[in-house]
Amino acid sequence: MSDHFKERSTRDYHQKQLFSKEELEQRESLCTYEDPPFCNAACPLKLDVKAMLLAVSEGDFGKARSLLEYITPFPEILSYGCDAPCRSRCRRRELEESVNIPAVERAVMYHSDVPKAKGLLKFRKKQKIGVFGTELFTLAFAADMASKKYPVTFYTEAHDETDLLKRCSDLPEEVLKRQLPKLKQSELKICFDSDPASALAEAGGFDILCGASSLKTEETDPVTLCDSAQRIFPAGEKQYGAVLQALFDARRAAVSAERIIQHLDPRNSRPPEGETESDLFTNLNYIPIEEAVAENGIYSREECIREASRCIQCECAECFRGCSYLRAFKRCPRILTREIYNNTGIIMGDHMMNKALNSCALCGQCTVTCPNGYDMAEICRMARENMVETQKMSLAVHEFALLDMLFSNQEGFLAGKQPGYEKCRYVYFPGCQADAIAPDTVYRTYEDLMKRQEGGVALMLGCCSVIARWAGRKELYEEQIAFLKDQMHELGDPVIISGCPTCSKTLQEHFPEVIGLWDVLAEKGLPEGHAVLQKEVIIHDACGARNDEKTQNAVRDIVRQLGGDIKETEYSGNRTSCCGYGGLVSYVNREAADDMAQECLKTDSEASYVTYCMACRDRLRRQGADAVHYSELVYGTGADDMPDLSAKRRNRLKLKQTLLKEIWKEEIMEEKVPFTCEISDEVKQKMEDRMILESDLLQTIAAYRKDRRAVLNEADHTLTAMHRIGNVSFWVRFLEQDDHYTILSAYSHRMQVRVR
Amino acid sequence: MANEKTYYTLEADSHLKCAHCGIPLVKGNAVFEYLDNAFPVELPVCPQCGFVYVPEELAMGRVLSVEKVLEDK
Repeated sequence: MSDHFKERSTRDYHQKQLFSKEELEQRESLCTYEDPPFCNAACPLKLDVKAMLLAVSEGDFGKARSLLEYITPFPEILSYGCDAPCRSRCRRRELEESVNIPAVERAVMYHSDVPKAKGLLKFRKKQKIGVFGTELFTLAFAADMASKKYPVTFYTEAHDETDLLKRCSDLPEEVLKRQLPKLKQSELKICFDSDPASALAEAGGFDILCGASSLKTEETDPVTLCDSAQRIFPAGEKQYGAVLQALFDARRAAVSAERIIQHLDPRNSRPPEGETESDLFTNLNYIPIEEAVAENGIYSREECIREASRCIQCECAECFRGCSYLRAFKRCPRILTREIYNNTGIIMGDHMMNKALNSCALCGQCTVTCPNGYDMAEICRMARENMVETQKMSLAVHEFALLDMLFSNQEGFLAGKQPGYEKCRYVYFPGCQADAIAPDTVYRTYEDLMKRQEGGVALMLGCCSVIARWAGRKELYEEQIAFLKDQMHELGDPVIISGCPTCSKTLQEHFPEVIGLWDVLAEKGLPEGHAVLQKEVIIHDACGARNDEKTQNAVRDIVRQLGGDIKETEYSGNRTSCCGYGGLVSYVNREAADDMAQECLKTDSEASYVTYCMACRDRLRRQGADAVHYSELVYGTGADDMPDLSAKRRNRLKLKQTLLKEIWKEEIMEEKVPFTCEISDEVKQKMEDRMILESDLLQTIAAYRKDRRAVLNEADHTLTAMHRIGNVSFWVRFLEQDDHYTILSAYSHRMQVRVR
Repeated sequence: MANEKTYYTLEADSHLKCAHCGIPLVKGNAVFEYLDNAFPVELPVCPQCGFVYVPEELAMGRVLSVEKVLEDK
């Protein structure tokens, strides 16, 4: 066995960065899944509007209220006085009227109770805060600092709390009345009927001084709101209406105050403040129109819930919608990329993301569905390559598929010129899955091509090597491509007629001219004896033909000629989902691969599907779909229905032998097995699940017949023999009757066992 | 080796015999090796030829799960 199949050592580590930090950030920046919704981004107070509306739509007014209480000490005043920049950026506005967020806020405050719990236990602070002057800014700042457990003294000309609120806001009295209990509850020490100006002038013993705009003597810093003596005053420049501006300034002032208390420069390490931009993509295509609820007085609870339910809960889930893989791993591409990047960097320890990076079908759908073209497939492929190179990727993950590829290019390989031609203009390359699943169709196709395609058509049965690329085995891939190049050269470097879109895509990178079988059939027309469809069909596009409209259209032409009435779906063409064969998922994570096949059928599981990749045909059929490969219809042939792994190999060998015998008239010396094996369907299924081939079983029995090394159970007369092939120990339990073996079970392990 | 930890012990069933040597298997010292890691175990072994028997339940159970853990190392 070559070096490619030598097991690695977990004690031997190499390191290679997957990509630079800059490239990582550049790739990650394309994913806007975590960008804030537009309403949240617009709010200078950083209200989580989306969460608030969701809570209301679920009838949880208490939660909605707590979100409002979190951003300001006076949510009642805010809900009436806010100029609501969130509303102007609400995406529903592009369809009809935006969600009436302030009206919902008003109703939330009206219909919910004042929270009884005081929240988290906070330690009382020692630093004293002095606040001077009567306006909403000073009142909000004072209340904010008091809620943070600072001892705050507030100097005001007002006579009592009601008067104070009236002086701070010109909102209707009944609104202010509702805000009154909150003010009374606060731990503010209010000095009524005082003269704030003289109090500020004489102030002593305070760590922080904050005053109303009328007491400001010099221009303050536009960000920190501090003057040269680090006294805090409202901003000079106003961006919003009076209420929002005052509450926003109070929030910023509180940040500055805490920085100063901690002896830090108030300009440094401030959280993002004010309105921010968002690149979040929101798909408005599937949003039903819902008329706004008119606000007559205050919304009733029901009206409020109805209006809040109009929120479309902006999120970019374009990639998730079509990809069961991303949904299964519950991570947006940005997070997934970061975790995969970290996974490749782990020197010692568990690589927790191996399963994730090996479960991507590498189909490229996300690049099409993502508004920014995020290429998750390339990241997963690169990560596999990186981990193979640094010997962190276990051979066990992809070995079966790689050996299958080698089987196609060795034992199952065939290259021959059309009889009677010294040089062929073309070579037909059906692809390993067509050879394995529909050998009769491949045979008929080749016969037809020899007959109808001028210039001679050679044949090559083999694998295009994409399996090595999917497995991240770069060197093996290059070796296999070199092998194919040599073989093509021996045939006189003909034009390749590929039977599989993935083979086409792969071979196009290495050979000057590759066309599809569909191109030839679309040009030549259908042969005699083709099937007639006369029904509605969905074409399941192959991921290998993504962004290859020429191929997609050629297949559609053929299907129409067959009489098919093509129904296009949301995931037709370039947006197609992978059947689960791509990226070797079906070998690594069967559950994920089955989910992918189901995903392909989600539009209509009862529909008739036509595929143009044999792997798609096989995988969709295994999910119970009525799926057929277009070439089966073209040649009126069938395919082996859901062949197991052993049958796929057998089919390839049989096809090769039949072709050699019937087309090239070669005598085939069939190797006679000197014994017979009886394998029940139950055991066959077990072997399929455990990826044990019939050939592994036969070799184990043959080895036993040679040296009789096995365990005999005298109780039931069964024998259990072991034989190591490559990196795997195969065990077969059987009953022996002369040269006949009844197989009872088969199992395997990769660990080696010996006596010590 | 005497003080080495044994990760797994399986008694030799009295019905089990080595088909090659024709003698009963006994509980013996064996070792599982994978990716440069070794796990001493006690399994049914032929005292003459050293054939180590790995029953199906062990192979598809403990052995498989340890393999998977090591493969992600």
